[in-house]
Amino acid sequence: MTIKTAKVKVSRFDPSKDASPHYQTYEVPWYPKMTIMDALDYIYENLDPSLAYHSHTSCHRRTCTRCNLTVNSKPGLSCHTEVNGDITVEPLPRFKVIRDLVVAGL
Amino acid sequence: MAVIGSGGAGLRAAIEAADQGASTILVSNGGIGKSGATMIAGADVTLDGGGAERIGLAGNEDDTEENFFHDILVQGYYLNNQKLVEAYVRDAAARTKELIDWGMKYTWDGKRAVLTQGPDINRVLVEQVKKRNITLLEDIFVTDLMTQGMTVVGAFGVDIERGVFKEIKAKAVVIATGGWQRAYSFTSAPGGLSGGLHAAAYRAGADLVNMEMVTFCPNVTLWPPALRGDIFPYILIEMFGDLLDKHGRPFLRDEYDPLIYKIATTTEWNKLIFSMAATRIVLRGDGSPSGGTYYSIKSVPLNIIAEAEKLYPGWRWIRTDFSDLMDWLKQGNAVEVAPAAHYMEGGILVNEHAGTTLKGLYAAGECSGGLFGANRVASAITQILVQGAIAGKSAAAFAKKANLKAPDKEQLKQVQSRLTHPFAQKTGARSVDVKKRIRKIADEHLWVIRNGQGLQQAITELQSIAENELPRVSIQTGTRVYNKEWIDAIELESMILVLQASARAALMRTESRGVHNRSDYPKANNDKWLKEIIVREANGRMVLRTRPVAVTKTKLPRGKFGFEEGIIKAVKELGE
Repeated sequence: MTIKTAKVKVSRFDPSKDASPHYQTYEVPWYPKMTIMDALDYIYENLDPSLAYHSHTSCHRRTCTRCNLTVNSKPGLSCHTEVNGDITVEPLPRFKVIRDLVVAGL
Repeated sequence: MAVIGSGGAGLRAAIEAADQGASTILVSNGGIGKSGATMIAGADVTLDGGGAERIGLAGNEDDTEENFFHDILVQGYYLNNQKLVEAYVRDAAARTKELIDWGMKYTWDGKRAVLTQGPDINRVLVEQVKKRNITLLEDIFVTDLMTQGMTVVGAFGVDIERGVFKEIKAKAVVIATGGWQRAYSFTSAPGGLSGGLHAAAYRAGADLVNMEMVTFCPNVTLWPPALRGDIFPYILIEMFGDLLDKHGRPFLRDEYDPLIYKIATTTEWNKLIFSMAATRIVLRGDGSPSGGTYYSIKSVPLNIIAEAEKLYPGWRWIRTDFSDLMDWLKQGNAVEVAPAAHYMEGGILVNEHAGTTLKGLYAAGECSGGLFGANRVASAITQILVQGAIAGKSAAAFAKKANLKAPDKEQLKQVQSRLTHPFAQKTGARSVDVKKRIRKIADEHLWVIRNGQGLQQAITELQSIAENELPRVSIQTGTRVYNKEWIDAIELESMILVLQASARAALMRTESRGVHNRSDYPKANNDKWLKEIIVREANGRMVLRTRPVAVTKTKLPRGKFGFEEGIIKAVKELGE
């Protein structure tokens, strides 16, 4: 049985040492209704512990809105936006990036 | 003074402290009003009908504070600290009126509940906080209390977005950080509720109480992933639908006394009954693949479902969209649901003035213990408002008389060394992996139904992790700025501590009372166990003791009774 996978292209940026953001692509096992948060959790837990995305107090109810980011050029909450095929994930535009997908002031 | 935690209890405490003239700092581990459990609460504020009448709602003057007090004791299996219950019923109406005056949207149920929504409670409280001169600190993980002997002189933690330590000097500290549900893998609570301040208070020498008491919300969504942890099926089952085992049998209807079935489907005892019944099914091997049971609405005619949709237009509620889930159910499928860690009756030991066993330290809301005894039915929103205001007032009064003391430098050095220790480790396990293993221990042995052997095993396993693995946990990510591995390592430490306290207290309590149920001691024993279990640190060891329940006016009952018998007795006593 082949496991379906999704390619997740993530914007990486550490302002303390990088001049500009770059992209890194991860391949994650995919299942129906998988959310962006699920995919990022998978990457953090299994592929790359250094990935930064907001989740430390996330509500999973579209209420705190702090997991907001850009998915395929559109804003979306990572806890409720589904992964449908390969995706590109970036921080919200016009916010100061703290690291990777985490921005200040959200 | 400082308030740690920015859910309803922390917001209300900060408002009160500022109104008392204290210079107040409000510290959140996330965003102010954007973290903690209040933001996702259903929610209702409960008060007696007479109190409702007095604040201008169409209440019922025959329903007195005394009635409300009595009912909370019956619901709590008489383990409640009656001094705390007195404060709750005394202040419930005033705190409710205040929220209404501040512009909270609500409807009144005509009996005892002001129905509203968590985000709206937060909205009005945050508005009030911003009107006052309160300093806000966000995304600070407080890990420790700074002390001088047995006096608290501030808080210490990590500013996670900057990756630096944060020292918060204060003459008094209020802890208002909610429960520790995140020590379980399946919970209805948001991120961040990991018992960090329970652990900090314990390390500073404070007592914890009733740590064995954990309420599980039954029928919580396991699928789809976006709705995992959502309690919507629990709300739906009050209207229609059934819980099924893996054979498709409605086990509650088939296997229980019709009276128990009726109580489960028509009263607030549903949390307890459904959680117990579903767990019994899972334990005997008749559950679903993910370790739950099934919720189905297949027997419900479509026009009845359409009628219910009017209450939740488009199957949306607050900001969550349940339309996918409802489509799946309407097609005749069942969804997997399970009991989720939902509310902690136990916590930091407080008196009726929100004071702890340490000078200068106060606690309010779910992080405190004793108010609801062995089972909460009355509103936790009322709890956070009443206790938040009391804590803010007490702490401000203490701060006015106290001098700002310098923290113990040696203690701070030790804390910093403990917090940075994982960065220097190369060979140990990753914090996220250890965290998962700890949660598995909680899921297995500190679930709805416990037993002595399992609890002993949990204690041994947690001890082994604390001694052998925790000192070797390693962080691979070099930067300290929003370092998830570091956050996990910090949370891991407090999770072990609260679980150890919970497991030891659960092992000591050789009976079943309210939400604490043991298969090896299935009866409640009023003759022996109307006592609180208190946990504290002494010479580096966790020590347990008991004390009799604080009684102010209602005498305690005697006798022994089983689970179903206890519920039927309680329902009769409440006249439900």
